[in-house]
Formats: sequence, structure tokens, C-alpha cells
Amino acid sequence: MKLRLNKAVVATSVGALLVAGVPLAGLASTSSAASAKATYTIGVEGPFSGSDANYGDYIYGGVQLAINAANASGMYKFTLKPEKFDDQGSSSLSPAAAQKATGTKNLVAVVGPAFSGASEAAAPYYLKAHVAEVSASATAVALASGSDSNFMRTIADDSVQGKADADYLVKVKDVKNLLVLSDSSFYGDGLAKVVAADATAMGVTVTTGDIPNVNTGGGGTTTEYGPAATGIATADPAAIFYGGYSPDFGLLLSALSSAGYTASAHVIMSGDGSNSPALITSTSPASAANGVYLSEGAAGKVNFLTGKLATEYYKLTKIKASVAEYAAQAYDATDAIIAALAKTSAPKSVSTMLRKEVVANLHKVNFKGITGTIAFAGDGDLRNDTGTSAISEVENGTITFLVNEG
Amino acid sequence: MGFEHFWLSGFDQIHTAFWTYLAVGLQNGAVYAMIAVGYTLVYGVLGLINFAHGEVFMCGGFAGVFLTRGILGDRTGTGWGSVGLILAGILIGGLVSALVATGVERVAYRPLRRRHAPKLAFLISAIGASFFIQTLAGKEFGYGVNIFPGQVFEPGKVMFTLFGAQIHTIAVVSIIAAVVMLVVADRIVRATRLGRGIRAVSQDAETSSLMGVNIDRTITITFILGGALAGAAGFLYTLQSGMVQNAGTEIGIYAFTAAVLGGIGNLRGAALGGLFIGLFGSFSVPFAFEGNVQWTEIYTFLILVLVLIVRPTGILGEKSGRTA
Repeated sequence: MKLRLNKAVVATSVGALLVAGVPLAGLASTSSAASAKATYTIGVEGPFSGSDANYGDYIYGGVQLAINAANASGMYKFTLKPEKFDDQGSSSLSPAAAQKATGTKNLVAVVGPAFSGASEAAAPYYLKAHVAEVSASATAVALASGSDSNFMRTIADDSVQGKADADYLVKVKDVKNLLVLSDSSFYGDGLAKVVAADATAMGVTVTTGDIPNVNTGGGGTTTEYGPAATGIATADPAAIFYGGYSPDFGLLLSALSSAGYTASAHVIMSGDGSNSPALITSTSPASAANGVYLSEGAAGKVNFLTGKLATEYYKLTKIKASVAEYAAQAYDATDAIIAALAKTSAPKSVSTMLRKEVVANLHKVNFKGITGTIAFAGDGDLRNDTGTSAISEVENGTITFLVNEG
Repeated sequence: MGFEHFWLSGFDQIHTAFWTYLAVGLQNGAVYAMIAVGYTLVYGVLGLINFAHGEVFMCGGFAGVFLTRGILGDRTGTGWGSVGLILAGILIGGLVSALVATGVERVAYRPLRRRHAPKLAFLISAIGASFFIQTLAGKEFGYGVNIFPGQVFEPGKVMFTLFGAQIHTIAVVSIIAAVVMLVVADRIVRATRLGRGIRAVSQDAETSSLMGVNIDRTITITFILGGALAGAAGFLYTLQSGMVQNAGTEIGIYAFTAAVLGGIGNLRGAALGGLFIGLFGSFSVPFAFEGNVQWTEIYTFLILVLVLIVRPTGILGEKSGRTA
């Protein structure tokens, strides 16, 4: 019975194929059109393992979301796929990641690198290979110097964030005596310097110190935080600004709390590197983070994916969009690359010429992204880099938005 | 950062907060000392550095973290409950680390020992074990995710005031626990049949084997003893700093340095070296150049080099350097 049924199916199919010769030809031509579409890779360089892998995952999710939307729209003459290039957020590993990315067949551009130090180290390799880097999160001022036309970013740099932070500390919190601490990373040191310089210019007595980070290859040791906190509590500055990342800032807050120096009696602030719910879980007791101010540089007012995009992001990544730092900026960075690609002839294979064209086109994009207007100045910074810094406060273990400063 | 650093002048700082620096230094030193003993014991019986020992410490820390979190949830321990939790954390931390240390010995060392492999093979095997355990912990508990134990006692609880300085419960607990365990370990090594076996293997494994000492058993017990101390230290460490998958590497380097400084192979030397490094690290913070705390590491390792130049076998090290 089964055999006879199969024979019947085959006979019917063959008949149908013979009768439907013309439609079949049509199908063939459609199929060939589909396969004629070029497939490009958008690389994502960032930490996908190591202590800051969460940031890489956040960013990759934003890239995936934008790529899925572009592929599903059917608007483009190409199909896109993302690919991870892991640098662990480390400047010593990023050159290898960049070389792997630039050597990847059909890679047109990269979203990233995620970290400033890694971006600085990887830049020469992307420049040499004419691969555009659009970072969603690298905020060190020096990265967009104008000498590297391949580097762009969809986030305001630390001069915006640092100035806004200094403004907030001095003008809103009336700080007269400020200790600026750096985690000795390329990012943390850069941001701390901006805050220190701006606060000094506003007449504040600024002193500085470095507590090398433990979690981003800074060579620090956790046992250094206790003695350092003792020193800080003894000096008893009215306010502290910390340039660095959440795992290390959490350790510092824990040690400061043990030493009797708390955010409830002083002003303690940090930048976007610490602006993550991970700060709360990195602090013990978690209540020691309460009252801490956190900032995040942004082109516009939206720092996280919201609404339908947030729902889709969660479906895709199983990560809540409300904690996924830089996912919104990564979405915009990917859209910028897609917009630049759309203006090319979309050849089947990627050549140096296409990569150069993408870089050139990126400098011409101008669209309303989800974080604000995405248009790059010659140095790679956003044209509206004079934007704001979103200031939040940790209230009962939750990071609560307060005001846009700047 | 290029600006005037914030610290008061070094001596002013120490004058103002001497007892606090002392307590913090002893607290760190206690942890280093307990881990350093593991390095030194293994060196004694095998003549090599167990580079996976930092990860043994990390595993004990995580065990204590999850135990206390499981018991306490969001509550805070009080009174005798706190004492019980600390003892339980030390016990479980020690137990888990002893098991991990035994596993490392069985998998990474014993097969090589049986094949009379060169020292370099042991070194690579140990580094491999270290990476394996650290990566496994990263996969299980998250990379760079610092996990704190349950609130065993009230956060920032001050036990007493010493010459105006607030001495925290956490420092007192760490120091007392370390002293008790180090004394017990010292007595085990010096005054028991078990310890005689360890010392015999340290001095001459082949001869001690001919004299009836079971080498395999002695080495396993050495790993258990060193592992248990590291695990207990792991739990005590988490009370202040939480635990993260790569903590074993950074703390392990300091503990290893302590063992070398004290005289590798010498149990009391390792304990002394640990305390010295903890105290030196704490008291040198006010003298950190340009307020950069990392200078304390430079000072510490400079002292290590100077000590080794004057006394190559370390502070208490003897000629052979293997005198556990």
C-alpha cells in the first residue's frame, strides 16, 4: 500500500512538472535571483569571553536585531550575517581579533571594537584593510582624532560625558572638593582626566588617584581595594568620581563601605562603564551602591532599546533590553553600515574597493536612528556629539534615570 | 593621571590610621598565608609549584558563597547563627577545595609522576589544570561576575575600637581563623605520624619509600591539607571581596610570592611571608607614587627581589629549600 502510494505520488509529481513547465522556469529564475544576492558579513568585535563578555553579548544582540530586520525587509540587494570576533575587551588581544576580522571573506565592516583600549590597539589593522569600524560603546576622546577615517561611533565621547558629569557634580551637587579615581584603563583614565580637568576649571579642588582594575586586564588585585579604601576614608574627600567599569567599581564601593565611606554621606559618581545593573550585584552589601550617581553619554535621550524592539531583543537573546547597555547604539551602528552598503552596487564578493566605498558612504549617512540622529563628522564622532549625558542614581538597588545633563 | 595625588603624605596617613591599615593588612595577610602554605607543602613533596592552587582556592570560595547564599537568602546572620555560618563556610570551602586539589593531583600530576615525566611536563599540566578549572567556573558562574556570599553578619559590623580605629568583624574573623588553622596545620606537619611522612617525602622521597612511607598516600594527603587551607581562605576572602572565576590567579601570585619570600618548602616561612606581604601591601598604599595603588605591587616585588638577593632561600628557607 505504501509502495503504491509512493508510486502514485511520483507519477503525479512528474505529470505536474511536465504540465507546469513555464511556472517551473519562473521558479528557477526566482531562485537564481535569490542566490544572486550577495551575502555580506558584518563583524562584531568585543568581549565574548572573559570578564566583560556580557557587553559583547549586549552589543551582538543589537547587531543581530538590526540585521534580522534588514534581511526580513527584502529592501536590499544583499543578505547580511553577523560574526563575532572575540577580543575579551583587551588591547593585547584586539589586534589578533582585528586581523581575523579583516581576513574574513565577505566581511564589509565591523561594529566595534567595544572597548576603547581595544579600539585603539585594533585601529591600525582595520585602517590597513580599509574596513570601517563603527563602535557602539568606545568613548575615549582620543579615538576620534581625525587621522583614522575608518573609525566612527554611535555614542557621544567622554568629553561630552565627562563635562556633563563635572557639571552635575559642581553645579547640581555643589561639590567643592573632589577625588577623581581612575581604574588605569584607556577608557577609565580618559574619562577621569576629562572630569578632573573640567572640575578644576570650575574652581573645584581636585585630587587624583589610580586603583588599577582587576577585571579588564589592568593588573590590579582585589586585596588592594581594602588598603586603598582606608586611605580614601582617612583623606575623606567630599566627593569621588570613578572612571572605570562596574565589576571594579563594585569592589571599590564594597571596600569604601567597610571603611565607613558611604554614598549616603558623600557624593560618589561614575560613568557609563559602571552604569549597569551588574554594579549592584558586584557590590556587597548591595545597599552600598545606593545613592551612587551614574552617567551615560548619548547622542539622544534613548540609551536602551524600548517597546517592540525590546521585546524582539529579549526573544532573540534572552537578555532584558533594560540591562543591555549599548544594544541600542549597536542597532544604530548596524543600520549605518546597512545604509552605507545600500548605496553601493552590492557586488557578489567583497573587494577592497567595496570596503573603501562603505567607509566613504558611512561618512555621508544621515538618518534618524533609535538613539538620535546618526551622521558622522570627519573625525568619526557623531555630528551632534554635543549631546547630553544621562544621569541616573542607584535607588534601592535599581538604577533610576534622573536627568539629562549638558 | 598626572594631577596631584590625593593621599595625605604617607607618614601622616599611617599616623592617622595606623590600626586600620594594620587590621586590613593582617586580614589580607591571613588569606595569603593560608594559600601560601598549600604552595609550600606541595613544593615540599613534589619539588614543583602547583600552578592550579589558585583555582583550588577559588573553588572553595565559591562553595562557601553558594552555601551561605542558599542558607541565608536575603536575610542577615546574627549572633551564634553568624558563628555557625562562618564555621560552615570554612568547612565546606575547605572540603570542596580538598576534593578539587585531590582531583588535580590524580589527573594532572600522578600520571606524569608514574611516567617519570620531566618537570616541564608537570608545569604545563598544572597550567592546563588551572585554565580548565578557571574556564569551567567562568562557564558555570559567569566571567568577571563577582558573586558575594550571603550576609553572614551585619555589613560593615565593627567588633571593637582600637586606639580610635574601628576594627571590623570581618578582619577579626579572618585573622583568628587563619591563626587557628595555620597552627593546626603546623602541628600536623611537625607532631604527627602523618606529618613525619610528609617531611620524610620532602627530604628524600625514594629513601622514605624504602622506609615504608606510602608516597602516593602522603602526596594525596599533602594536597588535601593544602587544599583545605586554601578553601577555608577562599571563603574568608569572599566575606570581603566576593568570588570571581579569575580571583585565584591574582591572589595565587601573591600567595606564591609569600611562599617564596618565606622560604619555599617551609610551612612557617610561608605563613610569615603571607603576613609580611599583606602588611607591606597595606602600609605601602599611602606611599603609592602619584596616588597609583599599583605602586604597592612594585614595592612588594622589589622587597621580594632584595630579600632573595640577600637570602636566596627566603626568610626561613634552609639550604635545600624543601623542609616542610
